[in-house]
Amino acid sequence: MNRFLPREAWDRTLAIILLVLLLAFCTLIPGFYAGFGGTLAITEQFLPFGFVAIGLAVVILTGGIDLSVGAIASLSAVIMAILTKSAGLDIWLASLIALIIGAGLGWLNGIVITRLRIEPLIATLATSFIYSSVATALAGASPPYGFGKPFAVLGSGTIEGILPVQLLMFIVIAVGFSILITRTGFGRRIIMVGYNRDAAHYAGVAVPDLLRKVYGISGFMAAFAGIVLASYYDAVRPDMGNILLLTAITMVVLGGVSIFGGEGGILGVALGVLILGVLRQGMLIAGFSDMVTTMLTGGILLVSIAAKNLLSDRGFGYGALLLRLINSRKQEAAPPNT
Amino acid sequence: MLATSPPTLAFGQDQAPDQAFAPRSGRLSALAIDKSFLANRVLKRVSLSLSPGEVHTLMGENGAGKSTLFRVLAGIHRPDAGTITLDAAPLDLRNPHAAQAQGIYLVPQEPALMGELSVAENMYLGMLPTHGIPARINWRSIRTSAQTALHTLGLDIDVRDDARHLSIAQQQLVECAKALLRGCRIILFDEPTSPLTSREVGFLFGIIRRLRDDGYTLGFISHRMDEVMDISDRISVLRDGAVTDEVDRTGFDRARLVSAMVGRSLSFDRKRIHRAGVGTPALTVRGLTHPTAFRAIDLDVHPGEIVGFAGLIGAGRTEIAEAICGLREKSAGTVMLNGQDITTASIPHIIEAGLVYVPEDRARHGAILPMSIRDNATAGQITRLQRGVGLLDRVREAEIAKQTIARFRVRARGPAQPMRELSGGNQQKIVFGKWMSTNPSVAILDEPTRGVDVGAKEDIYRLIEELSDAGMAIIVISSELEELIALCDRIVAIYAGRITAELRGAEITAASVGAAFLGAGSPPA
Repeated sequence: MNRFLPREAWDRTLAIILLVLLLAFCTLIPGFYAGFGGTLAITEQFLPFGFVAIGLAVVILTGGIDLSVGAIASLSAVIMAILTKSAGLDIWLASLIALIIGAGLGWLNGIVITRLRIEPLIATLATSFIYSSVATALAGASPPYGFGKPFAVLGSGTIEGILPVQLLMFIVIAVGFSILITRTGFGRRIIMVGYNRDAAHYAGVAVPDLLRKVYGISGFMAAFAGIVLASYYDAVRPDMGNILLLTAITMVVLGGVSIFGGEGGILGVALGVLILGVLRQGMLIAGFSDMVTTMLTGGILLVSIAAKNLLSDRGFGYGALLLRLINSRKQEAAPPNT
Repeated sequence: MLATSPPTLAFGQDQAPDQAFAPRSGRLSALAIDKSFLANRVLKRVSLSLSPGEVHTLMGENGAGKSTLFRVLAGIHRPDAGTITLDAAPLDLRNPHAAQAQGIYLVPQEPALMGELSVAENMYLGMLPTHGIPARINWRSIRTSAQTALHTLGLDIDVRDDARHLSIAQQQLVECAKALLRGCRIILFDEPTSPLTSREVGFLFGIIRRLRDDGYTLGFISHRMDEVMDISDRISVLRDGAVTDEVDRTGFDRARLVSAMVGRSLSFDRKRIHRAGVGTPALTVRGLTHPTAFRAIDLDVHPGEIVGFAGLIGAGRTEIAEAICGLREKSAGTVMLNGQDITTASIPHIIEAGLVYVPEDRARHGAILPMSIRDNATAGQITRLQRGVGLLDRVREAEIAKQTIARFRVRARGPAQPMRELSGGNQQKIVFGKWMSTNPSVAILDEPTRGVDVGAKEDIYRLIEELSDAGMAIIVISSELEELIALCDRIVAIYAGRITAELRGAEITAASVGAAFLGAGSPPA
């Protein structure tokens, strides 16, 4: 792609949108602002999507995709529930094992993609069928529920009654992943592979090895989301992860990550998660049906990508936004060469 | 490719049935053209006229604005200011299609054929003639006329073949045939010869001369002085986006052109004092064999020695280099680096052990264009830059980037500038610098000066010699005779996947290396 927009500019735009959204909802929707803690508690409804989105973003940065995140979330949560309910394991130990299994399932995706040379889209579609049927088989007719109060802290606990534990974890994870991508050798290699896989290979990046790790990370974050969901609902179901995938992809793309790889960052993804989550929950509180909010999600996705493409031509300024939208005829963006 | 040349080029409107216009040859003029990309002013009020029946060459360093000027003339870029006229009538070239409608065609630097489509489909791309029913494409007539067009150019290519099977030279000539099929009479060649061997260049020049004699208006860009002197009727020199000199055939003078180009004088008669390799070889290759591309390659390269790989494109030079560096499979043989067996080692391991390969295809294998100069300059040594838990040493990164820019005299705003904004020559310097900053003991340079201007070429030659003096063992793969003669202590001729000759010291002459290119004196296979 020839066009590009400075990532900072996109992040800044997202931050402004988020602020405007919060202000608008607090003033316009009765019941949205329910005290500081009350409003923050809204995030508990959508942050499991955010955990998945952050893991998925890492995969998409390499130019790949992981369609099995929902299935991995379900399977890991079911395994956790069975280990603690049927095998009598301590619930935290069971959760840890489930997280490791989630990472293993993601790593298996990586094996299928790199060793069998199957396109990520097809490979993870296939494994998602396999993983979710295993989850269904394991869960049986009446999946376990009721994990006790200490475990519920993960999904619905708060610090001092104000800061939800989920939000705290999300912030820590987002910052950690942001450092991973921008400041470490591992992150640099991910971006190289995303932009130009061949050149990365010539530069000595062990590409298959890197991809296996990346899909492992995605699987780990999906399992994490599954366990948080189990804690939030105090129950598991073999299809509980199904809703995660498409919303998480939307959050990643809204966050400015190019679906072709290379371009984008975790900060943007975190903002994308918050914008989409706040918007959907706000609409639901305001009394709109789920149908309307879903429709709006689709519209936002189209508008954000269109805006990004139109803005990325040359330079960037908010004042020029309208002008460019009207006068989008000049589509010249090739770089000078010789 | 056939070498027979038919007397005339009978192309025109009858070959392009869908076009209602009648393109003609004529005097194409650019008047006071201005063009900027972001803050970068690439063309500064440039005026230039191309006349019918003339080959008009643009010379200048990388980044001087030559390609940009041609792209403006071909409707790819719109100028910020200035006008373009054809026989004094102003033209509005909104896009390449509008330019082609006026008979202007640009043969791009990298041929832009679609590899998965057939040659015929490529040639008719965007102008498929239909037969009666609009949706029905008459493939038979397309194939016939495409085949005729290629035969008229003296090309022996099957138009049903996929374009990806063509060599770069053939692709370039197909681009040229595309221009003729569209009835274009003004053809601009953006550095067509840089990926070609001297024989292929001769063939292309034959075609260009015939076009000129038929009254076509021809624009040409090249960095190779000999070629330019040979083919041009008129030369314009660009420096920093402005025309600094224009001469016709009577005024051709190397020294004058070079000083107009770079603003300083360069030495042309450099010749290396050939050194014999002594001591233990840094790189030893024995019996290296690939299932199809090459076999039984034996090679020793000593510290401080520069060994040249001479041969035609497709002879297996790149394949051998990639196999040595672990980038390509091999079915037999061993590779030893400073006494260490690296035959089956991984690429990161080979790089760490001190063997690097600077690839020929800069855009695909060398540079990561959307990333910054800094990220590109340090891409070969990420492992060494990691501290503690894997955090990159940003101070060291910035240092490496700054050193690379300074040492290779890269024209750039700074380490944070994206690679894609640099000109080809400056990109090449960064890619070169990326590998040299890892301090390898052996380096394989594949066409190190492809698409690089005279000034940058001198810089790169100087650096190669400096590195060699410092004890690096170097292999240079090149299609340029002069380059090999000027640089190498020893030249290995590779023909059809085998080493067919080895020249050292006084044996290295233009005649002997030229013969080696063509596999002359090869032992019976």
